Amino acid sequence: MTFRQARWDEPLLWELAPPPPEPPAPDAIPGIPDRLRRKQGVAWPELSELEVVRHYTRLSQMNFGIDTSAYPLGSCTMKYNPKVSERLARRPGAAELHPYQPVSTVQGALEIIWRLERALGRLTGLAEASLQPAAGAHGEFAALLMARAFFRDRGELEQRTEVLLPDTAHGTNPASAMMAGFTTREIASKEGCVDLAALRAAVSDRTAVFMLTNPNTAGLFESEIQEIAGTVHDAGGVLYYDGANLNAILGVTGPGRMGFDIAHLNLHKTFATPHGGGGPGAGVLAANERLAPYLPVPRVVKQGRKFVLDYDRPKSIGKIKTGYGNFGLDLRAYAFLLYHGEDGLRHVSRRAVLNANYLARRLGKFLPRPFRELVKHEFLLSGAPLKAKGVRTLDLAKRLLDEGVHAPTVYFPSLVDEALMIEFPETESRRELDAFAAAFERAVTDTPENLHAAPRNLAIGRLDEVRAAKELRLSWRDLRSAAGKVEAPAPVPSAG
Amino acid sequence: MGRPARRPLGAAVPRWIPGDAAEEQALLAELGLRQFDDLFADIPRKVRLGRLGLGPGRDELDVVRAVDKILDRNRPMGRFASFLGGRVAHRFQPAAVDAIVSRSEFYTSYTPYQPEASQGMLQTLFEFQSLWVELTGLDAANASLYDGATAAGEALLLAHRIHPGHRFLVPASLPWEEKSVLANYAAGLPIRIEEIPYDERTGRLDLEFVRSAVAEQNVFGLLADVPNGFGHLDEGLWDVKEILGKVPLVVVADPLALTVLDPPGNWGADVVVAEGQGFGSSPSFGGPLLGLFACRREHLRLSPGRIVGATADAAGRTGFTLTLQTREQHIRRSRATSNICTNQSLLALAFVVYASVVGPSGLAALQTRLSERARTLAAALGSIDGLAAPRFEAPYLGEFAVEVRGAEATTFLDRLRRRRVLGGHPLADPRPGATGLPASLYLTAATEFTDEKEIQRYAKAARASVGPHRGASS
Repeated sequence: MTFRQARWDEPLLWELAPPPPEPPAPDAIPGIPDRLRRKQGVAWPELSELEVVRHYTRLSQMNFGIDTSAYPLGSCTMKYNPKVSERLARRPGAAELHPYQPVSTVQGALEIIWRLERALGRLTGLAEASLQPAAGAHGEFAALLMARAFFRDRGELEQRTEVLLPDTAHGTNPASAMMAGFTTREIASKEGCVDLAALRAAVSDRTAVFMLTNPNTAGLFESEIQEIAGTVHDAGGVLYYDGANLNAILGVTGPGRMGFDIAHLNLHKTFATPHGGGGPGAGVLAANERLAPYLPVPRVVKQGRKFVLDYDRPKSIGKIKTGYGNFGLDLRAYAFLLYHGEDGLRHVSRRAVLNANYLARRLGKFLPRPFRELVKHEFLLSGAPLKAKGVRTLDLAKRLLDEGVHAPTVYFPSLVDEALMIEFPETESRRELDAFAAAFERAVTDTPENLHAAPRNLAIGRLDEVRAAKELRLSWRDLRSAAGKVEAPAPVPSAG
Repeated sequence: MGRPARRPLGAAVPRWIPGDAAEEQALLAELGLRQFDDLFADIPRKVRLGRLGLGPGRDELDVVRAVDKILDRNRPMGRFASFLGGRVAHRFQPAAVDAIVSRSEFYTSYTPYQPEASQGMLQTLFEFQSLWVELTGLDAANASLYDGATAAGEALLLAHRIHPGHRFLVPASLPWEEKSVLANYAAGLPIRIEEIPYDERTGRLDLEFVRSAVAEQNVFGLLADVPNGFGHLDEGLWDVKEILGKVPLVVVADPLALTVLDPPGNWGADVVVAEGQGFGSSPSFGGPLLGLFACRREHLRLSPGRIVGATADAAGRTGFTLTLQTREQHIRRSRATSNICTNQSLLALAFVVYASVVGPSGLAALQTRLSERARTLAAALGSIDGLAAPRFEAPYLGEFAVEVRGAEATTFLDRLRRRRVLGGHPLADPRPGATGLPASLYLTAATEFTDEKEIQRYAKAARASVGPHRGASS
């Protein structure tokens, strides 16, 4: 318990140099009618570079990152983001490329995309990959649009309106299905895995897609995957792979090999690109021969020794974002692949799975583990026994923060009461695992009073999230009007 | 069980995976296992992969060399006089921005699900939201979406939730990529996207078309962009809300333009979205980008994306947290307002740092300088036979559309490229058989990197590149 987060009394930017109540209008621009012009300048502070740098440096010191703390969020794969990738992504040959440059001037960028798409095709065991989606959920959405187009071509779209998913599915799965115009139906799990009998009973000629994560969010490998694939395919459906948990199976198995038709991967999980405080990520779509014609355009293809952008894909769903994907992240992922090589990638998963099973064994002494013993890259604990002493999983999570480690994912999946979902990727050492186990023991055995009072060692105490949703103060303007002062920014009570 | 082999170049190999074989063996032993394969006993043999042909690992030096060798085949914009623009901006980024974005407490953190551990990013996002509110004149902003085009897609979905109807109007001049993204975001809805024709002389929206469409009472939204796809400001937009009445107006705006233009919230916009990469982030071949999204407070609960709100801890100290999460996929699942999970927080940080380092008066001054430069550019290109530059008669800021008379813009731009000028990008949809804007149009932009000298070089190259060309085509 020696951890103390920095606690700066850092005000909002506007308090550093409050803008005048009516900032002067910018100078007129020749040719722009007066009517279109701003009557007042933007109400934003005029600050020196040092003031801005100090402000954000202080804020950064009140933020956990992988570089400061173990970050065992289940299903988020918070692994080390290698520094060399950061350097490479900032090269002018990568950063200073415009997406609309003539292809003859961006041959290297197209080659990176081409090579990465091919490598990911092999890793997934699927025919073609596209790097266009901006994130995992974006990839899911695009994949479901591809399924729509596929069924439309077969004249089955009107009939196949239903997306099936297990009750352990990530929330993005049903949300993506809804956005793509499907209805959703959850399949109950049995012992943490898909209940094959329930799936067999649920599939029909209305089934469009079955969305599945394997290993699933309970950290369990769906060993009946061949039977699942057969069931979905016999019903005429498409089997979709949510690649959030790919870190467990690199080089061991892949979605194509398991019978999936289409998959998304998260480069910001398995392939070590940084999460950036919530983004950017990079999603990848991979599809078998049946669905590949529907991938977004353009496709990067090699003609002789040249790389070109191919827009001539009549079945393609078109574009799902500007440009060709998050190239800056593709480049980082490519460096990750090169560093590890095939055997190294296999070792990534071995070590990730080893870490999860070792830590599960240790933490299973403190809280019950639902389902079977052997897990893949992550595992679940149930905080339910703590309820007897008036302690919730949330209290435990906040108490862990006081130890200088990030909390696990909590209250997901919902089929486990008071769930904690823990993932320690391959980049965490035994020393970190043991330190986390010790911190966990201190936290879980602490007094209810202390657990309720946590966190105490951070920049701020436990925040009232209900109040945030009730008052909805979402900007400096809101704070100002809430304080009833219109003429100047209200002083915000700051940490301290 | 050896650790994986790598190409024996002999340079230093930092350990991205800790420990050694002995540590791993000890961990396995604690589990009562003998070998790694025991950890995968639950994966049926039939679905195992064989060798994939991905090659051996490399040391760090070898990775750098291999990647640099490929990147050397790129010719970044700095090697040309570049006038590329559109939604992705080529802008000078003060070093302070990358210095802050490179703080690994920021860039290696996750979505701030535990707000107490992530006050730095949350306060930053609160400041980002506040800035977008100031720029747009709307009540509330979210903490970012993927890019400008997907933000427009989410805006379409929001419009459909707040107003009945099955027709959504967009300008025919909208960039083809955005039209395609919008069509995909709309694919799950029983609706139709219709294009509003533009005036051949001014490029302005045909407001009579809008008026008669709205009169049929089945339009649920109209999207328009400022500047428009031709780079121009359409004065008619300032009146369009009068025609629309309660029909939602979605405005796609350029953030830099909003530092000098009347905020869309003042003239009736219900949603304002934008591409924000130009504030603090490099073009990076079109990704990552930054989607900005603001709307009216009354529509907030139907809106997409993460939102940061102010609150307090038990001691009454102000802090920040994600809020209105009951709209989101991880809580609401199939009834969420969007599927978005990962967004673009780090670029939101870059956005607010850039705006703060340059400052509001500096931003307006930058837009003014770019406008002056664009006028110089227009004068230089406008005198060339075979070009109509600007193609349309309407006000513009930093960019405008050019018509290559009687020829394809791609051919002309390729000739410019051979003279080390990147003149802009074609506006036509490149998909075979696509309808859309004429192949003769392209968009050209003034930037901080192109002064008088580059402009004259561009004009000279353009003069030599117009008209029939009998030279070799490569």
